[in-house]
Amino acid sequence: MTLQETTSLYSQLLEAAGSMTPGDGTESISDLRSNALNIFREQGFPTGKNEDWRFTSLTPYTDTHYVPGGASPADDNIRQAISDTAIPGLDAYLLVLVNGSLRPDLSTLPQNDQVAIQSIGNAALTGAFQEYFHDKTYTGADALLALNTALFTEGCFMLVKQGAVLDKPMRMLHVYGAVENSFFQPRHLWVINRHAQATVIEQSVVIKGGNALSLTNSVSRIVMKEEARLTHYNIQQHDAGERWLQYSRVSQLRGSRYDNFMISLPGADLIRNNLELSLDDTATESHLYGLYLVGNGQLTDNHTAIAHQHPSCQSNEHYKGVITGNGKAVFNGKVLVSQEAQQTNAYQQNNNLLLSEHARVYAKPQLEIYADDVKCSHGCTVGQFNPESLFYLQSRGIGAEAARNLLVEAFAYDVTDNIEDEVIKSHVQQLIHSSMAATIAG
Amino acid sequence: MLTIKNLHASVNGKEILKGIDLQVRAGEVHAIMGPNGSGKSSLASVLAGRDNYEITDGEVWLDGKNLLDMSPEDRAREGVFLAFQYPVEIPGVSNINFLKTALAEVRAYRGLPPLSAKEFLKLTKEKQELVAFEAKLANRSLNEGFSGGEKKRNEIFQLAMLEPKLSILDETDSGLDIDALRIVSDGVNKLRNNENAFIVITHYQRLLNHIVPDFVHVLYDGRIVRSGDKSLALELEEKGYDWLKELYHSGALQTS
Repeated sequence: MTLQETTSLYSQLLEAAGSMTPGDGTESISDLRSNALNIFREQGFPTGKNEDWRFTSLTPYTDTHYVPGGASPADDNIRQAISDTAIPGLDAYLLVLVNGSLRPDLSTLPQNDQVAIQSIGNAALTGAFQEYFHDKTYTGADALLALNTALFTEGCFMLVKQGAVLDKPMRMLHVYGAVENSFFQPRHLWVINRHAQATVIEQSVVIKGGNALSLTNSVSRIVMKEEARLTHYNIQQHDAGERWLQYSRVSQLRGSRYDNFMISLPGADLIRNNLELSLDDTATESHLYGLYLVGNGQLTDNHTAIAHQHPSCQSNEHYKGVITGNGKAVFNGKVLVSQEAQQTNAYQQNNNLLLSEHARVYAKPQLEIYADDVKCSHGCTVGQFNPESLFYLQSRGIGAEAARNLLVEAFAYDVTDNIEDEVIKSHVQQLIHSSMAATIAG
Repeated sequence: MLTIKNLHASVNGKEILKGIDLQVRAGEVHAIMGPNGSGKSSLASVLAGRDNYEITDGEVWLDGKNLLDMSPEDRAREGVFLAFQYPVEIPGVSNINFLKTALAEVRAYRGLPPLSAKEFLKLTKEKQELVAFEAKLANRSLNEGFSGGEKKRNEIFQLAMLEPKLSILDETDSGLDIDALRIVSDGVNKLRNNENAFIVITHYQRLLNHIVPDFVHVLYDGRIVRSGDKSLALELEEKGYDWLKELYHSGALQTS
């Protein structure tokens, strides 16, 4: 029985795949990719019938013809994108990827005794790559993950070497070129080796022709070795016509710390973030902060999953959303504490602010706890502005619109205040300020 | 400056203000006293434009402009200032940014040029000193974690910054110890002049030892049941409100 709904992109991808041999010469990867293709062939793009996609059917976004891989934009346009996305006052390394391919000529990279960066295509032949890539999670049942595994062509393999402490954050800018409707499937693998420390800021830009649509199905795997530390920002500042699907899987070994900031600004048609943490050892620490601002006609869906499988790990998650117009948001936060994971601390908090009567949020905290000596909590709220706060600001002469804007920034503060780097913090606060001013006014 | 005529207001269909008449001229301080639930805070709320009150009858004029037609922000820009009985804590909004925004909007409305960063800083410093408001509080989130006294001092600091025509102090003395009461009162006294006016709402006479009123009105059951000078406050302190309530219910008091 076939379960998939046949959309235009589905047929198009399978037709193209039928005439190619997946894989690049290595027997095991080749097998992995053809198995993955079969999974996608069977399942198709997720629809509302799938519990994990109940509120985010992909049918409307995949029922369109897309050119796979897009077209490379002119260097001038890429340089413009680099400067448009620059974070004022931030001294950072820069890694530019165009349609998933590395552009060292446009990048400013750290010394290669600190960080080794190569194309995922070249990396596929090395032992290190196979060690991490050949992970059971990649043969998993998720159709989009399978699709990426089967058909990805480009991406980066970044290895932060043992004991390397990056002196500056690295800005990783993904540039895509969509002359016509285009479909991208980048694949990334980062390994943060023992005692290494890095900060990475990911940003993405689509350089479009006219009203071209873009759909990106990106997969990242991040491996945190013992005592490694990574602070990872995703600044999702997008435009109409863009559809973003992102799957990130982070595995953590003993004593490692992973901090993620998922900042989704209003603009894209669709953002779906899947962020999964697999705590594969003891004494790890993880902080997930999310802020989603959703405007009229937009859908932002955050699915997070944290699996505590060993004792003495702590995870802390705080996602906040502001939804305006007829925007729609989804938050699904799963926390699993298995029986062996004693002395776990796991906290989750999700707060939503609905700014119009047509705004919607579907929030689902999901805690499964099988250990007994743990401290776990979760909370979820959906509300509107406190009318007393609004009145207080207005009573000082601040107009209703500016007052609402101030309150949105204040609401976001619980998330932004956790950004340790003052330059990045003030940039994010500025982005919130300008995007909400435009969204509330519009 | 302020003229209130036959003001009636209700909340959820329940009438709270039952015909208030009051005239406040520039340079005057009016105290409004009364027992709990008499409508004192409601009057303050209605003047500032809190939207859960329905005005069922009457008029309010501020220097010839119809106050009841205005949004709360426009009332503030016209020069009405309400010092809240319970100032709201707003984590994430810095006190200083909040004041900067408020002052910029008020000045723009009054046709005044925006203050430069330097001018703003100077003004802030000057007004902080005037009301003994510590600089470290000014830089924190709006009222977050402030003690009761600090919140009230912040109200007076904002008042000093915005320079309103008509200030309404809603039980500013509640929750203040003697020292804080003196600081707040000193601040208000320094801000009094011939061009502004104050309505001081209070339950107790002690605040009026510091901020000496020109007129004292007693509000009861949504009406002003007696008006007088500052000696009325002393009389109330001595005799309480019961004698007035009894007179009112016996019909012996002529309401304004």
